[in-house]
Amino acid sequence: MERGVMLTAVAIGVPWAAALGTVAANRRPRAIGFTAAFIAVTASALLLRGAPAGDSLTIALMVLYSCLTLGATLMLPRRDCTSGMIAGILFLLGSTLLAYSTDDLRVLLAAWIVSSAPFLREEWFGAPTWRPKLGLLLSGAALALAVAVIAASGGTMSIGGLIHSSPTSMTVFGLLVAAVVFRKGICPAHAWVADAAQGGAAIPTALLLNGHFGAMLAARLILPLFPDTARELFPLLSYLALGTALYVAVRALTENSPRRLIAYLALSQSACILAGLESQTIEGVTGALVHWFVVSASTMGLFGIVRLLEVRFGENLTGSTHLGLAEHAPRLACFFIVFGLALVGLPGTLGFCSLDLLVHGTMASHPLTGLLLPIATAMNAVSVFRLFARLFLGRRKTGLIGMADALPRERWIFTVGVAFFVLGGLFPSAIVARRAAEAEMVEQALQPPKGSSDTVAERALRYHHIAIAQVE
Amino acid sequence: MNVSQAALVFVALAPGAVFGLLALLWLVGWVPPERAVARITDWMFSASAVALIPVWLGLTSSGTAAVTVEFANWFTVHDYRFPLVLMADRLSLPFLAMTVVLAGLIGRFSATYLHREPGVFRFFLLLHLFTFGSLVAFAAGSFDLLVAGWEIVGITSVLLIAFFQHRAAPVENALRVFGIYRAGDIGLVVGVFALHQWAGTASFAGGFPHLTASHASMLGALLLFAAAGKAAQVPFSGWLPRAMEGPTPSSAIFYGAISIHAGAYLLLRAQPLLARSGIASALVVAVGVATAIYGTISGRVSADAKGSLAFASLTQVGVIFAEIGMGWNRVAVVHILGHATVRTLQFLRAPSALHDYHRMDSAEGGTTPAAGRLEEWLPERWQLWLYRWALDRGHLDTILDRFAIHPLMLLSGWFAALDRLGMHRPPREHDDAEASMSGAGAHGPRPERI
Repeated sequence: MERGVMLTAVAIGVPWAAALGTVAANRRPRAIGFTAAFIAVTASALLLRGAPAGDSLTIALMVLYSCLTLGATLMLPRRDCTSGMIAGILFLLGSTLLAYSTDDLRVLLAAWIVSSAPFLREEWFGAPTWRPKLGLLLSGAALALAVAVIAASGGTMSIGGLIHSSPTSMTVFGLLVAAVVFRKGICPAHAWVADAAQGGAAIPTALLLNGHFGAMLAARLILPLFPDTARELFPLLSYLALGTALYVAVRALTENSPRRLIAYLALSQSACILAGLESQTIEGVTGALVHWFVVSASTMGLFGIVRLLEVRFGENLTGSTHLGLAEHAPRLACFFIVFGLALVGLPGTLGFCSLDLLVHGTMASHPLTGLLLPIATAMNAVSVFRLFARLFLGRRKTGLIGMADALPRERWIFTVGVAFFVLGGLFPSAIVARRAAEAEMVEQALQPPKGSSDTVAERALRYHHIAIAQVE
Repeated sequence: MNVSQAALVFVALAPGAVFGLLALLWLVGWVPPERAVARITDWMFSASAVALIPVWLGLTSSGTAAVTVEFANWFTVHDYRFPLVLMADRLSLPFLAMTVVLAGLIGRFSATYLHREPGVFRFFLLLHLFTFGSLVAFAAGSFDLLVAGWEIVGITSVLLIAFFQHRAAPVENALRVFGIYRAGDIGLVVGVFALHQWAGTASFAGGFPHLTASHASMLGALLLFAAAGKAAQVPFSGWLPRAMEGPTPSSAIFYGAISIHAGAYLLLRAQPLLARSGIASALVVAVGVATAIYGTISGRVSADAKGSLAFASLTQVGVIFAEIGMGWNRVAVVHILGHATVRTLQFLRAPSALHDYHRMDSAEGGTTPAAGRLEEWLPERWQLWLYRWALDRGHLDTILDRFAIHPLMLLSGWFAALDRLGMHRPPREHDDAEASMSGAGAHGPRPERI
């Protein structure tokens, strides 16, 4: 068996096997979860080591997602760390990695749907509304219909093969865009994300959101498959994404539920990723890809800290009054503000670099609507600081006798997160250069050469040739 | 890299390194003793002050316009580069020296003033981070890097306003200041982007020769917006008295010395743009004059020592803005250095202002003359109107609340109502967020001091 295939099989298979093992054994779930996630991280990292620059996005995403899951297994409070919870998280890890790595549309569809399966359980998605389930259902249905239309038109089910044949059906394009809109929570389909975050299990929901399947679909399928249509119609989706970023940022200003607020922040910044991908500039696409990492890591950390506070302080955590928790949990406060400010581009963190690129790319392609991005980011920064101030600063809680700060395992995993942001911010070239190579490939495929009138199929083929050249 | 270049790198990066080291030690669970932190601070600032000498010698002896250190690009994507260039020229060197000397003095002063105060370690951490941000902003060779330092100054400033974290008012005021800083930063970020687009570079070295007058006007206006936010110029002046909630040493270094003059520094750096645009220059003068008038009138009714000093600072910075707008750059630099030094001393003496006054009064035999009151020349009705106007700080906060924050919160409330349409169990939302943004903490009843 080829080394790459074997490593991919390990990265996907081990978490799934461990999920079954956890349920069967029903003991030491954290150890099993940690080990399985660690093996997935190692296998993905080995894959990344051998991957060529410019064609490593999906593998880098596999590494990122495995790391997030590894972190989740460590930061899960003891109360939540049941066999069922760990099994669900590992199942989610396996199916997400499958979606990232597959070249077959049917497998992608299956992984897309299966990744939502754990959230059918009430304790995972005990949302106050029907919207989360509907959002996931509609996104899955849109993708399923797109795959069905491709299959009905006799097209191949391989993504690489589709690039050769270049399906130009507007129906497929529309369905794929609808899948992105529903899964990513683009306005007006945004409300399910906050509902899911508020009512469900915090850390698994964070993992679900940080799969960023919508952005993945845009980067892997829509951009390469429909370069011509994308070039003409993507500005509309870009405006929608920027509008979502601003809408949700404004909405977050008066939100007092910490979970919902963080969900809005994640949504707003995720919409910036989509806007960057659609900017058709190398800076914008690179910024979007780097910001993908930033948003995933920081929102994972923020959701984790809020859950830890809920376990320690009580489930009725609110941002409507000052709780003054920094006195009892100064390290959690410190981690919270670093993760939060990294999300909105604090200098010295990777978020500063990604937002700098995003702003330049987006404003270069849409000078007026691009202005919404720095405005939305500024509002998000205010929301981050407001939540920090309400949770951690203010009046001393005289009734609270003792509250544990970050435990060693939590402290270490959050320190790794902070180190990722700070080292990534001080030495961003390693991350940015790799993402830039991938972005360049996407951008080259979208831009027709000067004076040429090549067809969509020729352009798509050129994309594939560039990819092959990068591999060679 | 020669000696002066190495010294410049040391000066700019040393506080950042100390901050990183102390923060890392704290994260892994060890808090250094207070005395050790104070000594490290003393040594670091002393060494930085000494290191400025070779930078100055390098600048004067070589005859070059600037001591420049070019690192590799921070990151590069296609044609876009983020250059890491440190530069000490005749404009930035005085600011670097002012920052190192005054921050060092504040560090020394705070070791005694904040002795055994809860949070003293946090204060020193933030002092180092702030100094690092200021030095990066002043030593930056391009607007790109200046933005990074500028934002670090902003966040440390806000965290120090909320230093006394057990009281609600400082925390809510910090949030208000943070909001205004971020609003101002939009002008800077967009301005730097526009500079890249129109001039092809954001580096200070070339002087942006290809810019047209209209582009220069737009850029000047954007940078003025950012500078006004940071320097509390009209219409953003309302935040400065709120920022006095922080400990006295931080008020001195931020709002008497360095942070308050960062806006003026930005405009001095933007002088090639202002020189090309009469409109932008006129705007700078207008904002400066308006702030000076506002500051002097509002300061006359301020009842607390630090508040009075804040308004006095505003007045002087307004005059400095006017000087920059008129192109009197050297006068502005001298004014900044003198003002920063005197104001730092005044802020540090503020807790004993009454004692000082009584001593002075006794020494003069109880005949200290009252300050001249120009407003006494006005008709009584006007005096009364001015008094009310000054008491409400020119209604600036009210205007900002009514025309910016309140509509935004209203919009957010409507969005929340829209979102609730599909919910079975609506959560409690947006009950007091508006109150916090409009700074109720500053005007409402104050909680008792702890």
